[in-house]
Amino acid sequence: MNILVCLKQILDPEIPARDFRVVAAKREAERGSASLVTNIFCENALETALQFRERAGGTKITVLSYGQPSAEDSLRKALAMKADAAALVVNDGNTNPDPLTVARVLAAANAKLGTFDLIMVGREAGDWGAGQTGGLLAEMLELPCVSFVDSIESVGGKLHLKRQTDTGWETLAAEPPVVVTVTNDEHNVPRIPKVRDVMMSYRQPLTQWTLDELGINADEARAGNTYYDVAELAIPQKETRCEFVSGDTLDEKVEAFARRIIEVTGAM
Amino acid sequence: MISSAEATRQIYWNISHLWVMYVLLLPTAASAGYGIYRHFSRWRRGLPTARFDRPAERGKLLFKHAVAQRRTAQNFYAGLFHRLISYGFVILTIATTVVALDADLGTAIMRGKFYLYFQSFIVDIFGALVMVGVGMAAARRYLKRPQKLVYTDEATLILVVIFLLCLQGFLIEGWRIAATNDPWGAWSPFGNLCARASRALMSVEAMEWAHRGTWWFHLVVSFGFIAWLPYTKMMHIITAPLNIYTANLAPLGASLKNIDFEQTESFGVNSLKGFTWKDLLDFDACTECGRCTAVCPAHTVGKELSPRDIVLQLRDLMHEHPRDAFGLASTIGTANGNGQPASITPADHEPTTDKEARKPLPIIGAVPATSPAALWQCTTCAACMEACPVFIEQMPKIVDMRRYLVMEEAEFPDSMQSAIMSLEKRGHPYSGTQATRLDWTEGLNVKHLSETKEAEVLLWVGCGGALIERNQRVTRATAQLLEQAGVRFAIMGREEKCSGDPARRIGNEFLFETLAKENVGNLNKYQVKKVITACPHCFNTFKHEYPQYGGKFEVYHHSEYLARLVAEGKLKPLVGLDKKITFHDPCYLGRQNGVYDAPRELVQISSRQSSIEMERSRNKSFCCGGGGGMSFVDEPADQRVNQERAQEAIDTGADILAVGCPFCMTMMEDGINARKGERDVKVLDVSELLWEAAKPRPLENSTS
Ligand code: SF4
Ligand code: SF4
Repeated sequence: MNILVCLKQILDPEIPARDFRVVAAKREAERGSASLVTNIFCENALETALQFRERAGGTKITVLSYGQPSAEDSLRKALAMKADAAALVVNDGNTNPDPLTVARVLAAANAKLGTFDLIMVGREAGDWGAGQTGGLLAEMLELPCVSFVDSIESVGGKLHLKRQTDTGWETLAAEPPVVVTVTNDEHNVPRIPKVRDVMMSYRQPLTQWTLDELGINADEARAGNTYYDVAELAIPQKETRCEFVSGDTLDEKVEAFARRIIEVTGAM
Repeated sequence: MISSAEATRQIYWNISHLWVMYVLLLPTAASAGYGIYRHFSRWRRGLPTARFDRPAERGKLLFKHAVAQRRTAQNFYAGLFHRLISYGFVILTIATTVVALDADLGTAIMRGKFYLYFQSFIVDIFGALVMVGVGMAAARRYLKRPQKLVYTDEATLILVVIFLLCLQGFLIEGWRIAATNDPWGAWSPFGNLCARASRALMSVEAMEWAHRGTWWFHLVVSFGFIAWLPYTKMMHIITAPLNIYTANLAPLGASLKNIDFEQTESFGVNSLKGFTWKDLLDFDACTECGRCTAVCPAHTVGKELSPRDIVLQLRDLMHEHPRDAFGLASTIGTANGNGQPASITPADHEPTTDKEARKPLPIIGAVPATSPAALWQCTTCAACMEACPVFIEQMPKIVDMRRYLVMEEAEFPDSMQSAIMSLEKRGHPYSGTQATRLDWTEGLNVKHLSETKEAEVLLWVGCGGALIERNQRVTRATAQLLEQAGVRFAIMGREEKCSGDPARRIGNEFLFETLAKENVGNLNKYQVKKVITACPHCFNTFKHEYPQYGGKFEVYHHSEYLARLVAEGKLKPLVGLDKKITFHDPCYLGRQNGVYDAPRELVQISSRQSSIEMERSRNKSFCCGGGGGMSFVDEPADQRVNQERAQEAIDTGADILAVGCPFCMTMMEDGINARKGERDVKVLDVSELLWEAAKPRPLENSTS
């Protein structure tokens, strides 16, 4: 069984809200002192793949990323977690390409890497949260797509995919090859790699391609706006005000308080 | 009257067939020699470490703690009987040597005044004192029965044999004095006592018979004892002084080993082979006194961790299964596919070859004391090391094993994992915090190093001081005091990363090194020379651990720096509060770095009442429970170290518990809140206390 797991490196979504700023002119988030991390759902996908390999054996896991050169760190970490091979397509264009562009790039890289029985992506990324890459990738590859999967079993040549639904969960049987988007669950919390493996990961080979090497329309990929543009980017302003109601007795205070509530909410 | 210059006695009076003694000496020496050799050959299997440098300092330590037995005497009762027995033994050994010299080499030392004062009187007194000491030890062991002791038949037999040896000595002496009418008998008061009793009860002939029989019996028992010594805990007669001489001379804060990641193949320790020879010597130096476990905070609150048992059970493993423990070629048992020994083989053959046939026996979890659960309870407070009379290094061994679990297995508690992950990603251990490193500066005019060329000192805030709301108030107080005193200081702000202390104590040395190198790089970029920090963990790391990464700084705990500013008159605190204050020593400031007085000075300045000491204070201070990454772990509700300590503080009757560490602050606040009941007890940092006394006050007439 050949598994491809796609990883996205993003700006640490856990930075304190107060530290988060956007560069309105460039319509992107400011790096500031935030670190770059692997998107959590992508790590859930990798963990799900690793657990699948532990149970089923005979499985090769390749990780693929499309991103800045720094995305190499995400791939190295995946190698430390014991992925078998890694490939990076370097993005030297729009730092925030739309999901269709990403899907095209991933599909092209997928073809170059070989054939896969199972292609896994995170359900969405913690930066823009579009949640469309998985579905679009399946479309590009002309494969079925199962979303919100949290665990995978191999049963008699078929894959049993357990997916979360609004009301609980369901298990689908799918014939590989198939694309799945992975969501988090208590069982696919990404493992901590061993320090030994972290050190080894830097000695492992890592394939790198430029957009021009993929045989796609590289200029269109660099532009990265096939079907939408970010017109404006701003942090919503939340205003909080604190007001004290006054009154000499408790009754007066309660009355004043009630009156203010009516005024503010326009109730009654 | 015979002149005292001729005083002596006949050696071997009443004894014939002396050759038997010399024959018996051979197996005795062989057994003792082999026992000692075996110890040495085991220690030699350890990794190298330099412990013979600075002989003068080591000699001093040896004198203080092996000869004067200062640490042993920290427990008055045990210290007393131990001195009685050990000093007595030294005197008795000298006396026996004198006899041997005179008898075998024909010297004539045992004459005159020396014979009377030393060989008769002093030796007699010390012989009796040994018996008193043994009696005291037995009374403690069998009447008081303290829990910290190890109760073995061996321990009992040792006491019995020592007692018997002395008793036999007095009987033999008494019968000789009585039967020979020794004119100098009175110089041996206890022997003389026996003589007088015997004269009343026995004929001279009976005395001669009894003397001869007991003499031979005494000989056999003492030779047997000598032959047996190296196989018992009495081996500490040799190993304890050796261990003290080769002790780590650095402060306790600098006791962890360094790992060279370029050279090392396996990280951390999971076999006896991974230890240094000094670690192995440690095992054999243990006297089983149990002091380390008695002071261990984790053990005190009822957890499994017992530093004594780690030492003793690893020692037993080394003694009983040396081949497996060191992974040596074995004639018995074969390795299975995993390289693990198929069976543990008895220790009937001592390893003689270095040829390795298999992987050494893993030690983590091999004995109950090294279970991962126990290893993850250590707060790295070093109370065990401070208490150990023979300077055994228990805590670094625990960290060695943690390193293995973290770096080779990635097996460690979830809450520590999330701290480590956060350290990796964000350079601080507080996963999910919404605080930033600059929140505390709001409203203050604090400069960043990059904005000012003037700064003479760096205020290193630390993650605890910046990201935990309660500690932000401490950092503010410190900064305001520095400003008031006119100190030109600056901070690193967002460029600061965790010093690496939690990573190192949890066992992720690799992450520690990464953080250390990054911090040192930044500090050197700004040419920082002097550093103040309110965090004893950062303090310790800067002081002892950064120099090897090229970071050489003059480091001050904020209490030291502030106390100096007060002494220099740069801060002028007013008469302090009318409150009773007790101070909790942070392990990494006090015990591990010897700073006890500066924070106490600040406490003293801050209150009109005299401060109160808790029973466990200064070098014997009891950990808050937060060191060694333990502040990230949720302890079981009935085994909380912080509550044990908080109770002690509350019981002093103090109104304020003063602290000097961000971890202590949160641990103690939680503990006090859980235990204080009705009475109001506040937890304040020493800088907050000082700021309370020194902050500018509104003028009297400006308030209505
Ligand atoms: S360092 Fe402290 S917690 Fe750890 S074993 Fe020693 S006394 Fe116990
Ligand atoms: S390690 Fe030290 S303190 Fe602990 S039992 Fe042994 S000798 Fe005593």
